[in-house]
Amino acid sequence: MANTDEKLQKIANDLLESGEVSLVIGYTKGSNPQRMRPAFITKTEDAGRLSFSRYAVQDLAVFLKKPEVKKFGKIGIVVKGCDEKALNALIQEYQVSRDNIKIIGVECNGIIRQNLADKGETAVSEATVYDKCLICNEHTPILYDYLVESGEPKLNVSGNIKPYAKIEELDAMSPEEKNSFWEKEFDKCIKCYACRQACPLCYCSRCIVEKNMPQWIDTNLEETGNAQWNLIRAYHLSGRCIGCGECERACPVNIPLMMINEKMARDTYELFGYKSGLDINAKPVFGVFSESDFNEFIK
Amino acid sequence: MEDKKEGTVKSEGNNVSDPRIIAFVCNWCTYSGADLAGTSRMKYSDNVRVIKLPCSGRIDPLFIIEAFKKGAKGVLVSGCHPGDCHYISGNYHSRRKYAAFRDLLGFLGVDLNRIEFSWISASEGNKWVSVINEFTDKIKSLNDNSSDIFKK
Repeated sequence: MANTDEKLQKIANDLLESGEVSLVIGYTKGSNPQRMRPAFITKTEDAGRLSFSRYAVQDLAVFLKKPEVKKFGKIGIVVKGCDEKALNALIQEYQVSRDNIKIIGVECNGIIRQNLADKGETAVSEATVYDKCLICNEHTPILYDYLVESGEPKLNVSGNIKPYAKIEELDAMSPEEKNSFWEKEFDKCIKCYACRQACPLCYCSRCIVEKNMPQWIDTNLEETGNAQWNLIRAYHLSGRCIGCGECERACPVNIPLMMINEKMARDTYELFGYKSGLDINAKPVFGVFSESDFNEFIK
Repeated sequence: MEDKKEGTVKSEGNNVSDPRIIAFVCNWCTYSGADLAGTSRMKYSDNVRVIKLPCSGRIDPLFIIEAFKKGAKGVLVSGCHPGDCHYISGNYHSRRKYAAFRDLLGFLGVDLNRIEFSWISASEGNKWVSVINEFTDKIKSLNDNSSDIFKK
């Protein structure tokens, strides 16, 4: 752990010193030992603040869409395997140039659920990490300029805990049952759009919900508008979502957004054999087509 | 009150026995096909309201949501057969989009019997008639009380 921190700090220091980047986005220790928070390092003397641990839950790629971060030009960023997929998707969609980014990959062996960490959970195990960690194939980032190994033990997945088990449960339900489930969930939505703000891939400078000529999505808090918003958000991310889980974590009313995202990720893989964020040279799945695409549902 | 809102299709004649169906069709194939059905004096269900767009690729999923929100009981999306698109590839893109969108709707609890997709060419007036009639019958047979997330 201490070793990981030192390596991170050295890399950041070297990058800033040589002028290769003017900003390093990383994690620093939070106000209590079970929390990490994002750190923006612009001076070499601050590099010592960088750290990484099993509590580093944030997806830092989200900051790359902010204008105040973009203006730094060349940026170094500390990423876990899942965050790095978001970076890949951004590069794929020409939102970030590979040349302007120095990727400092960190081997991650699972992130402890924040609610458990707050209660004092310290062990990384099947029962304590996020569902995304249980299905993660990218514990080592796919693409990186520097790789920092973590000293943490490997996460053992025995298969006893089924990640996203609720998806299959819901798939088996009738439309009415599904509807009443989602009705209850969407009813809670307060339209704060935290899901959008926390998402590294929701980068439109003007979101569909802010367009009012015509106004496609009701901005009031009644049920129809809530359903519309959640549906369109999920649709705009289907085939793109890389499953970092930030939307769900940001949601103040705990709508299980990752269920929808994960379901769509599974479906796009099933239908088109495409997984988001794995290859920066791949074309986004809805940007291309194949003549032999699934046609069964069309008369 | 709701019924009087401008632009809603909840007005008279939108009930279980006489449901309102919105068809989003492409200008080049399906609309011409429907036109052919008309000029050939074929009869088909008058529950359908046709909205013409340049291409099936132009039919945004938002339109479907909007139609359901305004009270449509069924939505049909129709365009040129694969390979026949006036704009070369619009229908291929649309097919990919809708394969995913349909899954999403189903997962969120919309009865997939209420949404239909078809390829109808300019010469297939017969197919237009049969697609519309079958779809209308299907909508009529559904239990109207089955709520979905856009209906309140």
